[in-house]
Amino acid sequence: MPESNNTAAPATEPKMLKMTINGKEVEVKEGTSIIEAYSQHGMSIAHYCWHPGLSVAGVCRLCMVEIEGNPRLQIACNTAVTDGMKVNNESEKVKDAVKWGLDFHLINHPLDCPICDQAGECGLQDQYMAYGKYTPEMAEKKVKKHKVVDLGPRVVLDSERCILCSRCVRFTDEVSKTNELGIFNRGDRAEIGTFEGKPLDNNYSLNTVDICPVGALTSKDFRFRQRVWFLKEHNSICTGCSTGCNTRVFYNKEGLFRIKPRYNKDINGYWMTDTGRDAYKFVNKEARLLDARVVSNGRGEWIAPKLAARKAGEALKGAGKSVALVVTGQYMNEEYEALLSYFKNEVGTDRVFHWINNPETFDSFDGLLARGDKNPNTKGLLAEMAKQGFTAQWRELAEGLQTGAIKTVVVAGPENQAVFPDLKAKIMELSKASKLVWLQAGKNDQLEALTGDVTLIPLKTYVEKTGTYVNYAGIAQKVHKGLTVVPNALSLVEVVALMKGEELPADDTYNQVGLGRVHNEFTMVRGTL
Amino acid sequence: MSLVQKRTELSKWYLPAIFQGLGWTFVKMVKNLANKKQMITLNYPEQKHEYSPRFKGNHVLTVKKDGSIRCTACMLCATNCPAECITIKAAEHEDPTVEKFPISYEIDMLRCVFCGFCEEACPVDAIRMGPEWQRPAVNGANFVYDLKELAYRPSLKGGIVSVVDETDRHKAGI
Ligand code: SF4
Ligand code: SF4
Ligand code: SF4
Ligand code: FES
Repeated sequence: MPESNNTAAPATEPKMLKMTINGKEVEVKEGTSIIEAYSQHGMSIAHYCWHPGLSVAGVCRLCMVEIEGNPRLQIACNTAVTDGMKVNNESEKVKDAVKWGLDFHLINHPLDCPICDQAGECGLQDQYMAYGKYTPEMAEKKVKKHKVVDLGPRVVLDSERCILCSRCVRFTDEVSKTNELGIFNRGDRAEIGTFEGKPLDNNYSLNTVDICPVGALTSKDFRFRQRVWFLKEHNSICTGCSTGCNTRVFYNKEGLFRIKPRYNKDINGYWMTDTGRDAYKFVNKEARLLDARVVSNGRGEWIAPKLAARKAGEALKGAGKSVALVVTGQYMNEEYEALLSYFKNEVGTDRVFHWINNPETFDSFDGLLARGDKNPNTKGLLAEMAKQGFTAQWRELAEGLQTGAIKTVVVAGPENQAVFPDLKAKIMELSKASKLVWLQAGKNDQLEALTGDVTLIPLKTYVEKTGTYVNYAGIAQKVHKGLTVVPNALSLVEVVALMKGEELPADDTYNQVGLGRVHNEFTMVRGTL
Repeated sequence: MSLVQKRTELSKWYLPAIFQGLGWTFVKMVKNLANKKQMITLNYPEQKHEYSPRFKGNHVLTVKKDGSIRCTACMLCATNCPAECITIKAAEHEDPTVEKFPISYEIDMLRCVFCGFCEEACPVDAIRMGPEWQRPAVNGANFVYDLKELAYRPSLKGGIVSVVDETDRHKAGI
């Protein structure tokens, strides 16, 4: 992010206050609340309703702290730090208050952890292990509320589990500004709900599932598919659009299961879009091309991708201007560099075309995160094309195919086929070439059914390789290889090396997802949520 | 205790030992024929030895009073299993009071070490280990017992009813 030119900086420099947290002296900016001071200095404090990305509600009464000179406990989320303040959340008094606060939260809670998706990363479980551990003293029956309430196309509510922290309500009020959720009824009958005929249906609705500290809101997509302790985490970047939200992907040996946002103050804050959360589906094996397919003389066969890439390379060498390259904005800088310089220097063509998937909505923006450019690295591609001096227009490709000047077309196709509405039409158009080499991660029946001279080579997806994406604002972000889903797949860098006739470094191609699992430990850290 | 015998001059010759052994067999045979009641061998497989009901043998998935499967697909047994031989696929039940149930539940008996940890982990008495212990099969895949086999095999006569009952709990307001 470019620094803003703040000339009045000295005047607005916030005053620093000295305070003591649990006996440790720290300095915080004026106007900080006690709970922010705790989180800034990495100290833990029980809380449910406070979320750094939302306004303060102060309803859960769990963030109790003892302030020296104040006879009563105060809530840390709604108390500002004053100079010389001494706070403590480790005293017996605080522990006792949290314990009884927790007891109130649990009065009507159904305690159905065995069938609750949140178990293992649940705020109630965490706080109970830290502060609770008591026998319940409630003699009354639990209040029955609605279960399995369909809030919208992606979210399910269980009112009995809800602790009425109001985070979800504040989210739809303050962040998505769609106001679908509200609290209905009063007292112990209060429930979260939607208004008649207005379901929770916005592109940010799954963020409410993330911030719900308990299992009241669950995602329909992830519901019952895995227990969270069977999943491993890997830090990655969403490739769903050009915003480049920071994410964590959750996977095990069966593949990816869900994607959650990771805090980045410059790009996505705490949130991400619902559409971006689908960016795991095309990574899993069911959707992937597992081997290379070579069709010649009407006969198709499946062969090893490395061999296919080598063969394709032999035909391309020095083929000059009869070869055209079509690239999508779905790959990494390193891959573009290798691919484009190979086509310029070794193949010797300047017919390199940028495939824009949805020209009509390409520049749209929904005001929060989602962008019309559904490619993670259009910026990186354009920069590399400019560097190599490629300026060809799509029109020239169509003409070249018509006149037969272009004989071979190499396509670095879409990784995420769902965001390419024109995919079918483009396959029809490009398959007019007498020889087609299509590089792509996902399988596609239309491509496999082609009969001409066709080579399909399976590529790696964004979680299987290391490289850099440049988002719409020009921020370069590096992602690292996390797992291997299709062991045979190649990255574009590897494809180019093989096309040149080089050997691949004997590296970790077969580094499969570790079969051992994180055993029986609830290692999920709730992090900043 | 050591079972290794010292080599002696006599043990070099194996014939004496063979005749000694045959002699024992013959004596036992005559004794058994004279008194059939005290014979301890069984005509396996027509006759089978009944183990104590506490024996930790083949797993049984219990059922509810209406005969449907008791398991809630919480996967605590799979989490606890040291042999990692339990595979459960959960699904949404159409009855909202049930919510989650196993659409497939498989135990690989050849990997199971019969430790009983699954039984201990289960919060609703949905899995028990029963006195049955042997069932031959022709290949490895036949040892992967599925839900039908675990809950409704003929020897269970329609299923064993779990001691944890939801309707009772709901009445008690839990
Ligand atoms: S549904 Fe979850 S986030 Fe919403 S009020 Fe209830 S506990 Fe809080
Ligand atoms: S008895 Fe032990 S090894 Fe066998 S399924 Fe149960 S937990 Fe796993
Ligand atoms: S058998 Fe018991 S522990 Fe295992 S999934 Fe079913 S309910 Fe859970
Ligand atoms: S976090 Fe302070 S009252 Fe809920």
